[in-house]
Amino acid sequence: MPGKIRKTPLIEAGRDYLALGLEGSANKFGAGIMKHPKDGAATVLSNIRHTYITPPGEGFQPRDTALHHREWALKIINDCLAKAGVSMHEIDCICFTKGPGMGAPLQSVVLVARTLSLLFNKPLVGVNHCVGHIEMGREITGAQNPVVLYVSGGNTQVIAYSRQCYRIFGETLDIAVGNCLDRFARIINLSNDPSPGYNIEQEAKKGKRLLSLPYATKGMDVSLSGILSAVEAYTLDKRFHVQEGAEDKDLITPQDLCFSLQETVFAMLVEITERAMAHIGSKEVLIVGGVGSNERLQQMMGIMAQERQGQVFATDERFCIDNGIMIAQAGLLSYRMGYETPLAKSTCTQRFRTDEVHVTWRA
Amino acid sequence: MTFSLSQNLIQSSLPISQGAEAKVYKAQLTSGSPPILLKYRFQKKYRHPTLDANLTRSRIAGEARALLKCLRSGVNVPGIRMVDATEGILGIQWIEGQSVRKLLPGGAEDDGADNVDSPDVEDSDPLTEYGVSVDEVMNLIGNEIAKMHRVDVIHGDLTTSNMMLRHPKSFVPFNPNVTTELVLIDFGLSYQSTLTEDKAVDLYVLERAFSSTHPDSEPMFAKVLIAYAETIGKDWVAIKNRLDDVRLRGRKRSMVG
Amino acid sequence: MLFYPVSNPAKIKQRIIDAAKSKAHEADEEREAVNFSFIDASLITSRLHLETAINQAILAESQGSLRTKTVHSEILFALNPTNNITEAIRRYGVSDTTKALCVVQIMNSSATTASISDVEIKMKKVVNGSIVSFDELAKLTDWNTVEKYHKLGNEVKEKRDAQRARAFIDNVAVSSVAMKSVMQ
Repeated sequence: MPGKIRKTPLIEAGRDYLALGLEGSANKFGAGIMKHPKDGAATVLSNIRHTYITPPGEGFQPRDTALHHREWALKIINDCLAKAGVSMHEIDCICFTKGPGMGAPLQSVVLVARTLSLLFNKPLVGVNHCVGHIEMGREITGAQNPVVLYVSGGNTQVIAYSRQCYRIFGETLDIAVGNCLDRFARIINLSNDPSPGYNIEQEAKKGKRLLSLPYATKGMDVSLSGILSAVEAYTLDKRFHVQEGAEDKDLITPQDLCFSLQETVFAMLVEITERAMAHIGSKEVLIVGGVGSNERLQQMMGIMAQERQGQVFATDERFCIDNGIMIAQAGLLSYRMGYETPLAKSTCTQRFRTDEVHVTWRA
Repeated sequence: MTFSLSQNLIQSSLPISQGAEAKVYKAQLTSGSPPILLKYRFQKKYRHPTLDANLTRSRIAGEARALLKCLRSGVNVPGIRMVDATEGILGIQWIEGQSVRKLLPGGAEDDGADNVDSPDVEDSDPLTEYGVSVDEVMNLIGNEIAKMHRVDVIHGDLTTSNMMLRHPKSFVPFNPNVTTELVLIDFGLSYQSTLTEDKAVDLYVLERAFSSTHPDSEPMFAKVLIAYAETIGKDWVAIKNRLDDVRLRGRKRSMVG
Repeated sequence: MLFYPVSNPAKIKQRIIDAAKSKAHEADEEREAVNFSFIDASLITSRLHLETAINQAILAESQGSLRTKTVHSEILFALNPTNNITEAIRRYGVSDTTKALCVVQIMNSSATTASISDVEIKMKKVVNGSIVSFDELAKLTDWNTVEKYHKLGNEVKEKRDAQRARAFIDNVAVSSVAMKSVMQ
């Protein structure tokens, strides 16, 4: 890790801390155990996840997703504890995702967290999902004060830290980027395994032709729904052919559409990130969220950062895609600052903005 | 030819500043002609070249169209002097003067090197050189924005840095009592809209810019609005109500996970 | 070069038309003789106005994006606020009633003083009139027509005094020429 610039207000560990993190705001159920040892360096003891995969052309419904989480929760938590080699009695706190996310899946996970808390008499810590992503990204990459691009199925935000708050500089005005990609994957019947976004990325590598799509940045915000409609319209174009035909023909293939969609949408995201970097004078970018594992996005961001003599930090799919360990990390940080969620208030919420969290552990 | 004509022009120009989007130069088209300001939207390598070229072209075009529309309607904006949409260059009239941000209290701070050499300015009010009071400047601002909104141009990035006062020496007054003129600059984020919402947001952006750069800005901004209301006329009530709504809402949009 | 007064506008116009019409090779010489841009000086608001049009025309030629056949006709096209080429030539080119003419020849920047004076001689062969300084341009501008072509009637009325109105029209005219390539 590069030298710390500011002194952290985080109280020194003094002893080893262990936290269990539970995440289930969308179609992944994840559990992770984080250790903050006396000497300060955080250690991931275990991080396990199970994804609810729907057939091609279908999205995940809240009710079925909640059912999936309930079915898998106990097995995954047990595996997680076994892999870490700790028992529930050694855990200091149980961290859960308070929001934002889909209501039903969130509720099923909170219920698990609450039950464990009562069974083992452990305190609960409610965590903002977005802050979880940011804190895990910072921990893994060692980025000090980056501009954060948070891109996932439910969120698209450009965030920067300012006075104990993660301020949202720019965001989507309609749908999230992951949502846009997932929905397009459904339109062209791509598999949801391992994730629709991954399959779009693979298809895009075979695309050659850049088709014109709307480019909608508005200051530091972006609008994506119009692009989804436009790319969908191409699938109804008479030049659209699923099978690859003769090279010289004027054809539009699904691969071309994936390529064009990625190029356009990612260029918009990089542009608003760059604008935020210029605005606050930062040279670091951290990409978090499921879409952050896309290598083309990472590459484009890298070129931009290089031109500004800056640096990109990104994590691999273990930490980019929703996981339990990030909830444990963010939860443990606030727990060490003396924060606990009383049982009566251990609710969840579908709407929970990143900038509503008081970030006590940073100066 | 290794360089295009426009690249040659840039090579012979004086660099002024560089932002995220563009580099700014001071240039001359021919010897003896008045100086112009070049805004060069350089290539973004992360973008697909076709996408980048189309985008640069449409942004230069949009900016030029907004400027011409303002100009034709008598809004004080720099005149256009050259356009090379292929290379991404917009040349506009050079305005001799100072940004409003630097002329108002608090605006000259945290600007670093720029002001190090003139510490004596702090004692005297920089505005005296321009022969106007703070109140008069607020009046000019409100008036100019209202003129722009009357022709449905939304600036998109109103800040005190994006307004300039012409230096009295560079300015031929038509009325001896007028010593300066307020010029709106940087239409890079501008667009056309007739919506009350967009006009209210434009004002709100300026209000936020005032409060973040200039201490005790409330009475100043109130005077901007008085002048704005006077010039915009009958639409004021609707814009005022919407502005109040926007203030309450702030940037906050409720989020669905 | 600014010629004022000009006594043979109709003849110049006819020569240009004839040179353009004849396809045969024997007309090459004649085409070369009138290979200039002839611009009605009464529609030019300032030296900057003309220079801007020339600059944009050269730029278009260098990028291969000429909208008309030659760089010389492109200047006329750039001056006209609409995209109608015939209209541009009728309005801004030489006409039977033209009294003052701007004659422009685009040359390579390596042209020597000698070749420049050659051009002057060539121009004088075509145009019957005397060369005056560009400072005279201000007196020759027909402000009402420029105002009409740019549709600035209402805006100009608000300006009240003439000097101010002219500065305004000039600025709009120059800006329109400069952004011609990205006009809707």
